[in-house]
Amino acid sequence: MATVPNILIVDDEEVMRDFLFDVLESFEVDKARDGEEAISKLSEKKYDLIITDMKMPGISGEDVVRFAREKYPDAKIIIISGYSTLFSVTSALRCGVSAFLAKPFTIKQIRTEVAKSLNTESGENVMKA
Amino acid sequence: MSFLGTIRKFGIREKFVIVVSLVIIFSMTIISGYLIRRQNEIYSEELANRGSALVANLAYNAEYGVILESEEELENLLEGFSRVDDIVYVQIRSLDQRVLAERGHKIYAALICSDSTELTADADSPTRIYHTAEDGTKILELRYPVQTKRQEFSRENLGTVMNYPATGTESNMETIGEARICLTMANLGLEITRSQTASILLTFMVVITAIIIMTAFVRIITRPIESLVNVTDQISKGDLDRTVDISRHDEIGLLAESFNRMIVSLKHSQEEIEEYNRTLEEKIIERTRELEDAQQQLVQSEKLAGIGQLAAGVAHELNNPLGGILGYAQFTLEKMEKKDIETLDEKDYVSFKRYIKDIETQSKRCKAIVQNLLKFSRSSNKIEFQDTDINQVLRETLTFVEHQFVMKQMTLRKEFDTTIPIIQGNPGQLQQVFTNMLINGLHASAAGSEVVVSTRFLPPLGEFPGTIEIDFADNGVGISEQNMKKIFEPFFTTKEVGTGTGLGLSVSYGIIKDHNGEIKVKSILNKGTTFTVIIPLEKKSLPADKIA
Repeated sequence: MATVPNILIVDDEEVMRDFLFDVLESFEVDKARDGEEAISKLSEKKYDLIITDMKMPGISGEDVVRFAREKYPDAKIIIISGYSTLFSVTSALRCGVSAFLAKPFTIKQIRTEVAKSLNTESGENVMKA
Repeated sequence: MSFLGTIRKFGIREKFVIVVSLVIIFSMTIISGYLIRRQNEIYSEELANRGSALVANLAYNAEYGVILESEEELENLLEGFSRVDDIVYVQIRSLDQRVLAERGHKIYAALICSDSTELTADADSPTRIYHTAEDGTKILELRYPVQTKRQEFSRENLGTVMNYPATGTESNMETIGEARICLTMANLGLEITRSQTASILLTFMVVITAIIIMTAFVRIITRPIESLVNVTDQISKGDLDRTVDISRHDEIGLLAESFNRMIVSLKHSQEEIEEYNRTLEEKIIERTRELEDAQQQLVQSEKLAGIGQLAAGVAHELNNPLGGILGYAQFTLEKMEKKDIETLDEKDYVSFKRYIKDIETQSKRCKAIVQNLLKFSRSSNKIEFQDTDINQVLRETLTFVEHQFVMKQMTLRKEFDTTIPIIQGNPGQLQQVFTNMLINGLHASAAGSEVVVSTRFLPPLGEFPGTIEIDFADNGVGISEQNMKKIFEPFFTTKEVGTGTGLGLSVSYGIIKDHNGEIKVKSILNKGTTFTVIIPLEKKSLPADKIA
């Protein structure tokens, strides 16, 4: 791949944003501290992957997902959430996301999901919406 | 008034007899009075008529005696008249008022003389004059003129005078004297007295007869009533086996019949009540135990629900820092595995330091959360009062519920009064109350609205011990007037079945009661609700064995 995929991290927790930024240092990563910032960033440019928290003040992760899905139908989305209830998983999957990760997750888990999401350019969907 | 009072005390029979007797006496008095008066008039008239006839007769027969002024002739005439009943005095006078002859008591003569000095008698009808003698006797005096026919009168035709036609014209008649007779009315008085006596006797007899009949009749009515009274009295003393023994077909019979029916149903009811009473106590004990069990269970489930809410908050709170800790720990390890300790450069060192610093910070965050949780679980189990800073308890509570507000895009505004003194309270239980208030506010409000938590201190003044007041104000749906009465009742909920236990506010109420305080609610439908928790400064001693 000639170009480095760019990723948007959306989380209201600073430590999570920083950690993901550090882990995904090989990519081009932007951070957003809430849904509002995420939408404004998404409006500016396209991201290959969006990693977002579900429950955030103001505009929720669900709204961010919906917005991204509409604007960039082929963008990949990974949900990370502290609330790992059955409801939030199903509603996330219904929104057409690639993966759902419950906090706290391991470096291996996030790397696997990111790799899986970004390697599906060939048309092979691991997680079907 | 006292007479009426006396009458009121009498029985029906006495009242009946008194009333009927009074009516009879009254009627009889009127009737007799009228009859006696009428009798009196008739008798007087009869006496007067008889007297008139007599005086006219006397005057007619006295004609020659007066003409001749023959005392002997007149005396003979008067002798006959004076014997007539009721006549007490007779007198013949000449035209010049001389008494030609008289017969009877002199006292009557004096009565007549003093009365009249002129001849006033009229030939058409005798003049009537009433006198009262000294002894009180009523006297009727009648006067009649003695007349003769002037032209025909002579010594020669003396013997034939009787043959003259009686219908001579008045002009022919000449008054030559006057006849007077006095009739006593004493017999009339006697007659009246007799009649009065008879009427009184008759009235008395009628009254007696009436009383006898009345007594008998009233007894027919009162006897069953007395029997009813008797039975009622027995029933009031609890003897329900009595019945009224009256077999009649009138109103009283019907009364007795329905009375008996009443006794039967009364007896039935009493038996039911007795039966119920026998089992009631057992039932109460049983039901109370059941209710206590159920309440215990529900209080427990409310606590569990509270714990569930808390757990969700705690999970969210913990998962974020744990995510950081786990991530950075693994990340550091990974980096260290890739490089030898010797090859670590300045840049790696700075990164590691930052990672480990983050791990420390997040671990401390976890520690604080766990400590809060421990404090809550420890103190909410027992009613242990300790020095409590209400603002601090509120702050800790807010950390657990804040994210739920954030999720609903709601603002939680804090207006804490920093002058609040430390009070004696149970932080864990107060936290439970505050959590409940905040969650209620959250559920009642629309997304994007605001809930204000404010505290204030009212310092002691005179009798007033001083209080701390905590307001939880929302702009939510409000509470309807009919629900307002029930919100503190256990098991009352407006949420869907299975969603709420309906115990939140009642448990809160109990906790605040334990703190000697109270919860006040102000609410306007569709405008919002403000719950105010009021806790007095006074320390309250509690039974040591009381377990929440």
